[in-house]
Amino acid sequence: MEVYKADVAIVGAGGGGLRAAIAVAEADPTLKIALISKVYPMRSHTVAAEGGAAGVTRPDDSLEYHFNDTVHGGDWLCEQDVVEYFVAHSHEEMVQMEHWGCPWSRKDDGHVNVRAFGGMKIERTWFAADKTGFHMLHTLFQTSIKYPSIKRFDEYFCSDLMVEDGRCQGVLAIQIATGEFTLIEAKAVIIATGGAGRVFRENTNGGIVTGDGMALAYRHGVPLRDMEFMQYHPTCMPGTGLLFTEACRGEGGFLLNKDGYRYLQDYGLGPAEPSPRNKAMELGPRDRLSQAFWHEKRKGRTVEGPHGAVVNLDLRHLGAAKLHERLPLICELAEEFLGVDPAHTPIPVLPAVHYTMGGILADGKTASSLPGLYSVGECSSVGIHGANRLGSNSLTELIVFGKVAGVEAAKFARSVSISNPAAIEKQAEAARTRALDVVTQSRGKERLAVLRTEMAQSMENGCGIYRLESDMQATCDKLRELRERYRNLKIDDHSKVYNTEWLLSIELGYLLEVAEAIVHSALNRKESRGSHQRLDGFEERDDVNYLKHSLAYYTGDGPPRIEYGDVKITKSTPGTRAYGAAGEEAEAAEREREGAGND
Amino acid sequence: MTDTEKVIEIQVLRYRPEQETEPVLQSFKVPFTDDMSVLQGLQYIKDYLDGTVSFRWSCRMAICGSCGMMIDGKPKLSCKTFLREYYPAGLRIEALAHMPIERDLIVDAGDFITKLESIKPYIIPKEPRTLEQGEYLQTPQQRDMYEQFSSCINCMLCYAACPQYGLDKTFTGPGVLALMHRYNADSRDGASAERMDLGYAHEGFWGCTAVGYCSVVCPKGVDPANAINQNKMNSAINYFTRFVTPKGGTK
Amino acid sequence: MSKRRPYVRSMDGWWKRDAYFVKYMAREVTAVFVAAYAVVLLVGLVRLAQGQAAYEGWLAALKSPLSLVFHLVLLATFVYHTWSWFNIMPKTMPIMFVGGKRVQPGMITGAGLAAAVVACLAVLLIVRGVAS
Repeated sequence: MEVYKADVAIVGAGGGGLRAAIAVAEADPTLKIALISKVYPMRSHTVAAEGGAAGVTRPDDSLEYHFNDTVHGGDWLCEQDVVEYFVAHSHEEMVQMEHWGCPWSRKDDGHVNVRAFGGMKIERTWFAADKTGFHMLHTLFQTSIKYPSIKRFDEYFCSDLMVEDGRCQGVLAIQIATGEFTLIEAKAVIIATGGAGRVFRENTNGGIVTGDGMALAYRHGVPLRDMEFMQYHPTCMPGTGLLFTEACRGEGGFLLNKDGYRYLQDYGLGPAEPSPRNKAMELGPRDRLSQAFWHEKRKGRTVEGPHGAVVNLDLRHLGAAKLHERLPLICELAEEFLGVDPAHTPIPVLPAVHYTMGGILADGKTASSLPGLYSVGECSSVGIHGANRLGSNSLTELIVFGKVAGVEAAKFARSVSISNPAAIEKQAEAARTRALDVVTQSRGKERLAVLRTEMAQSMENGCGIYRLESDMQATCDKLRELRERYRNLKIDDHSKVYNTEWLLSIELGYLLEVAEAIVHSALNRKESRGSHQRLDGFEERDDVNYLKHSLAYYTGDGPPRIEYGDVKITKSTPGTRAYGAAGEEAEAAEREREGAGND
Repeated sequence: MTDTEKVIEIQVLRYRPEQETEPVLQSFKVPFTDDMSVLQGLQYIKDYLDGTVSFRWSCRMAICGSCGMMIDGKPKLSCKTFLREYYPAGLRIEALAHMPIERDLIVDAGDFITKLESIKPYIIPKEPRTLEQGEYLQTPQQRDMYEQFSSCINCMLCYAACPQYGLDKTFTGPGVLALMHRYNADSRDGASAERMDLGYAHEGFWGCTAVGYCSVVCPKGVDPANAINQNKMNSAINYFTRFVTPKGGTK
Repeated sequence: MSKRRPYVRSMDGWWKRDAYFVKYMAREVTAVFVAAYAVVLLVGLVRLAQGQAAYEGWLAALKSPLSLVFHLVLLATFVYHTWSWFNIMPKTMPIMFVGGKRVQPGMITGAGLAAAVVACLAVLLIVRGVAS
């Protein structure tokens, strides 16, 4: 087996992985970096992020506001010390991206422009039209080419982590073009593989978003934290789930039901005003908007389309000129996929799974519970999103914590050496056999796609916008069954060169395990908080029992073991989470309380 | 619903290096609805008819650049090309032209990536700036000078459209030259002279014979032909002015 | 050992694969006709240098039916040549702004074609003036 000796290995070359690689290269140019990705870096799913990246910028904004928006938005399930670090370092990282050439949209005076986003009190979202993730990813990828110490392994599929002497010491990867294995020894490993949205049926995610890194860390004993919190984005394309950015509403778009009524005012988000008001109506947080859709559907006030119930995203009043300047990709998607010109016709939309709030347990410095293993981005749970992520916090997370991960991994790599190369190689051989077994041992009759489809449908049934114990239990049972049937796959492809069916079957293994972590975490959380909403007697938030992070531990063939961990509270004690006029009242009351406390 | 009963014939150019010595067409019958993309047609084939059919894809929304292929002879992104456009005649899908086929619809992108890496595709600042100094100022009009060329998704359709690249692999090609122009045209950058040594060489801008098809097939309106030919103009001006200006040229 | 065996397809007959390439080749071929006409004019110049008789012989040759047909063919190819080049002209121009608005490619092609028509008319008028 081919062996490559690196100092730091990074799995995943999206925004987080690339930013981490650059940080390692800048921290110490003598460190050898292996950047491993199952796709060419610019195909990574960061590319599909549209709206923007948050960073306090305007003089009337403050770190405290961004902190409060994030913590309230996350329904107080955030690690507050980590959020403090995050908001304090967001702006400088955005400027760093600007220096590297990111084509941020500008004001006439040449300064970077910011736009409004859901749940954010002040405009602070930096944007590059509506292709922010695309531009950030390409800027990072192209900038990374500058650093000779970054060795890329493009189209290498990571099949396992090497854990020896109680710490992570490398990864095993399949070169997709040849089907051959490479052992990449590394003193520190950063996982930056993105989310797991593909466990659900209707989602905004690319086909590659299959929770690989989460499953790998999980299998090696690192818990997955807060996995029950899956974000439904309220404005997606019926049928495909493709995303229409929140920036549509940030720029002033309306959500209308079948009567042309801005229904969000019926769900504590009003009053309805003609122009967008921050943290109200269409600029409310994503969990609340998706929940409102669910209720409208129940009341029969949605529009029936070929792919089920939809509401209308109305952008007509913004005018063609503004639409083409600020939302060109949205116009393109609406026109090409739906045959709708948003300047003249509202776009039919519905909620779809968009983001995995939970992930690999990580501390504020991105370190996991396994020494030498770090994680960044959607695969990671560094603790800033809590029970509901605010739009435009995740792109910023990639660069703020990508840098942290790089610096920390570099530091760790300099402090250790590979302890037992022979043992690691032996492990790699065993892992190689396991990976090959997925194809060679599969002489069954189960079709990969059937299993995948059943899983995704079951996850939608059990872990949708609103949840019931009986449905969740049914999903748990279904996943058990699917994991059993997974041993019985029928694989058509037994070749080596670009055997994508083989990789898809390994991915299905990852998906099934992550799906189990999600549904079991959900079943055990007997309250409603953020994006986890129950209708079976646990409709309220329960801070006494559940102001806790759930931690899902791998138990081999059995279901995950769910434990709980403390939430770090520094300055914001859990309060009422309200938006619109009610939110302003709550905020005023809080100020009064604090004022009284200071006297 | 009659919509779901429609069936279309998709011919796929197969090449499995462990099995075939040269590519062969294989035909599949795929049930489809009017909103189904060619990519979804291929996914149906892989999921239910033949799991060995291989192709790259990810985002499904024409931004990741993975799923470029020849559809009835034209380079297109399969995710935003719809089966209904080819009904009832059927369609033929092949790997992107002008690049070696690795397997089925997957081409070898190595040459493109190497070229992309060779042109210094990053800002080399005109005036270095610290983070404390904040962002560079850049007016919307200055941004417009390069924004279009920064919109390239690296899908390589333009390479499949460029016969010059097909005939001579030393030619840098449309997408990468557009990217070079993107950095040269950025008001923050000061390294166009450095990059232009490559750009002015035969394999750079002058390798282009202005076929112009690259700009036609580009799914993102990048217009690489414009980036290249603007630079021919600059190059020509530079060539002639070096005889009349004292220090040999304006670069 | 790697089982990779990338397959390189032939470029034979590439220009027949797409109507766009055929049109491109047609544009390139019309350059030959432009060159041919330059040769005709050059011959005229040489004949002029050789004296009046030689020059008038050249003029007479131009009036032969075969020459007239040849000129009609030339005219047709020139029109196509002009049209196709002005069509590609926006691709050769830097991005331009007039009054803060970007100049659209159609404008550049239109302006080029208009300039060509005006130039032709001007030449015709001058020739007519000289002739009368």
